[in-house]
Amino acid sequence: MVEYRIDRHSGVATYVQIVQQTKQALRLGVLQAGDKLPTAREVVEATAINPNTVLKAYRELERDGLVEARRGVGTFVRRGLNTTPADSPLRAELDAWAVRAREAALDRDDVAALFTAVLDEHFAVPEDPDGRTDRFSRTDRPDGPVRHSRTDMQDRHDRHDLNPGDPS
Amino acid sequence: MTDTAMAATALGKRFGRRGGWALRDCTFRLPAGRVCAVVGPNGAGKSTLLALAAGLLAPSEGRVTVLGTDPASARARVGYVAQDKPLYPQLSVAETLRVGADLNPGRWDAETAERIVSAGDLDPRKKIRALSGGQRTRVALALALGKRPELLLLDEPMADLDPLARHELMGTLMARAAQYGTTIVMSSHVVAELEDSCDHLLLVGGGRVRLAGEIDDLLAAHTRVSTATGSTVPTPMDGSPDGAPGGLPELAPHTVVESRVTGRQLTALVRPAGPLPDDWRTSAPSLEELVLAYLRNPQAAPLTPAEPEEAAV
Amino acid sequence: MTALALSPDASKTTGHAPGAGWLFRLHRPALYVWIAVVAVLAAGLVWLWGPLTDSSAAAWREYNEFCIKRGSCHYDPDAIVRYKDVYGYTTGALTALPFVVAAWAGAALFGRELEHGTAQLAWTQGLSPARWLATKLIVPTILVTAGTGLLVTLHRLMWSAGDGRIDTAKSWYDNLTLHTNGPTTVAFALTGLAGGALGGVLLRRTMPALTFALTGVAATRFLADQLMPHLWPAVTRVTSLDDGYRSAGLGVDSGLVTATGAHIADPGCGPTSVSSTCKTVYDGLDATGFYTTYHPESHYWPLQLTTTALVVAVATALAVAAFVLLERATATPTRGGTEASV
Repeated sequence: MVEYRIDRHSGVATYVQIVQQTKQALRLGVLQAGDKLPTAREVVEATAINPNTVLKAYRELERDGLVEARRGVGTFVRRGLNTTPADSPLRAELDAWAVRAREAALDRDDVAALFTAVLDEHFAVPEDPDGRTDRFSRTDRPDGPVRHSRTDMQDRHDRHDLNPGDPS
Repeated sequence: MTDTAMAATALGKRFGRRGGWALRDCTFRLPAGRVCAVVGPNGAGKSTLLALAAGLLAPSEGRVTVLGTDPASARARVGYVAQDKPLYPQLSVAETLRVGADLNPGRWDAETAERIVSAGDLDPRKKIRALSGGQRTRVALALALGKRPELLLLDEPMADLDPLARHELMGTLMARAAQYGTTIVMSSHVVAELEDSCDHLLLVGGGRVRLAGEIDDLLAAHTRVSTATGSTVPTPMDGSPDGAPGGLPELAPHTVVESRVTGRQLTALVRPAGPLPDDWRTSAPSLEELVLAYLRNPQAAPLTPAEPEEAAV
Repeated sequence: MTALALSPDASKTTGHAPGAGWLFRLHRPALYVWIAVVAVLAAGLVWLWGPLTDSSAAAWREYNEFCIKRGSCHYDPDAIVRYKDVYGYTTGALTALPFVVAAWAGAALFGRELEHGTAQLAWTQGLSPARWLATKLIVPTILVTAGTGLLVTLHRLMWSAGDGRIDTAKSWYDNLTLHTNGPTTVAFALTGLAGGALGGVLLRRTMPALTFALTGVAATRFLADQLMPHLWPAVTRVTSLDDGYRSAGLGVDSGLVTATGAHIADPGCGPTSVSSTCKTVYDGLDATGFYTTYHPESHYWPLQLTTTALVVAVATALAVAAFVLLERATATPTRGGTEASV
């Protein structure tokens, strides 16, 4: 059974997080074909998010063909994702490369930056369909999603006053 | 269950013949099955609105309908918890629940009520007057949920709760919405705590409805824009809806909620009425930014669509 | 977008209306206190009715037959005093009872609930304000009427048993006894209830509602005392200037009668048998005798019933006012929403 952890400060939409975590669970084999996903009620009781968010996520998973909703019974996993077993040759190659990078005196951040650059070159950046990420910041700040911190009204007001020229 | 949980037409309430208007000219529609946040500063009229919907007050003008009928006829189907969570001090927790059962014969869900109470480790024999604020909230919620309402009206329910209790009770409310399609209306003056659980927003400011609609639609209808401006004359921050004198001609014909000029840069929150110029930098506002902008600019045109406006690309 | 799985919810069934069980749950201690008070007072009245009256009457008989005529006797003065004291306590308590009811109704039954929002809590738990008010008036009315009625009946029986046998017994028209012997006391208690309801709905605060209810009962009692003698045709009796006033009942009016039959005010001189100088005063006024307009004992029940009707009308008016105010302040069922004017 998969348990969802919603990170409210990640800047990623909640339903996207559910989709991503479900796919992750499928990849890791926590969820397998035929398993029942938790009901919307179970998810919201544990996470206190809106039930429609869960339904939206499940609908997207259904669109991707990963799950199917059976009326009155629940939502079930249809098929798994391509899992990469721990002993695949790709993993072995990556291990060897990591050893060589360490020998070349690269630290963790260097490796991460290098890897992200290569990732961006070969794989499309995941598009947030609702356009919530700041388009402005994406062109100027390529190092990750924008952090929208949730503070109460007073803080936000103060912050706005501190950065008069900053539109975001 | 009808498909409109709550609707108001030109609703107004004044206390006393010479008192000020707590609410004026409020019109909105809340579809059923939503979780709606009623947001606004203290004294904006949120409590009055909820009390009118609960049938505790009679409107001074206009009308409000609840679950398709007037509030008095829907009393048995609507749950309400007031801001001060009134309870009978001389009764124990268990006796309070029994009074709930007495008042709702044939409709009482003893199991749900007891489950909510026991989740807080409450001794059922403890007297209400000996309970803390958070415990009282729990009992008040148990009473409201025990009558199996189709619509729940909660006035600042999370105010007395510690974060753990808040999460747990919010989870219980969301589970209720998920399982029975109960419409939940919660008021608060802190936007952040409601953002994840609510999909509908009602923004009340100065006794008037400033924003009403699905949160996703409201956010999609607004854009933050930033551009260079020709004039260096400081312009007022008013949000004239059509770029009239005193406003900024660059922003017409879009509806301006808030705008500010600093140096040569113009930033604004607008409701686009057409395509935006390519040289403008745009971004989507957060819910808090949206709420704050409307509250800071009471003269901006309210947005209470029956159908949501088409968001300009 | 609505939730997927909608489990069949029992909210589709509409239950029957709530009875009065909730009222007893809320005010159980008050109910016990009421029963205890009525029981104690009833016991006192029965004690008074039986043993105390007998012993006092016996003492009086002893006193009158033997002490006065013969000069030596054995009589029990304690019995006389005991009767007098217990009569005073019970009659006083019964007189105060409507005030106690008013205070409780104003403070606990209505005022506190409206002040602290527990009335509104009941209104959002499926109990309409009208039904809430009705239950809160009807059930206590029944209990107060039953209890006070019982006590008033016992008091009347007790008083009748002592009437004529006990020399210092209160007359039927003594102000306290007049009311505790009949249904007006019950009517005053009901006025207290209704006044508490109106005070609570009008003022929505505990102490002001209590004060309102108490004032209401006091004012009603005062009004009843003023009006009662005029609610039934009285009897006029004329006596000679020698004899002075002779009345045996509830006085309405008194003065001098002139030769022409006109009624004029009494200068306060007194009967001529006592002071002969008054004769000249009366001659100057052309007075021929004294007149007294009064009600004899035979008018007791007519007076009681008409006054009770008056007080019950007052109580009803207060209760109706409470309903009207409440209906105006809260939402009421309408067919299609209301366009209320300001």
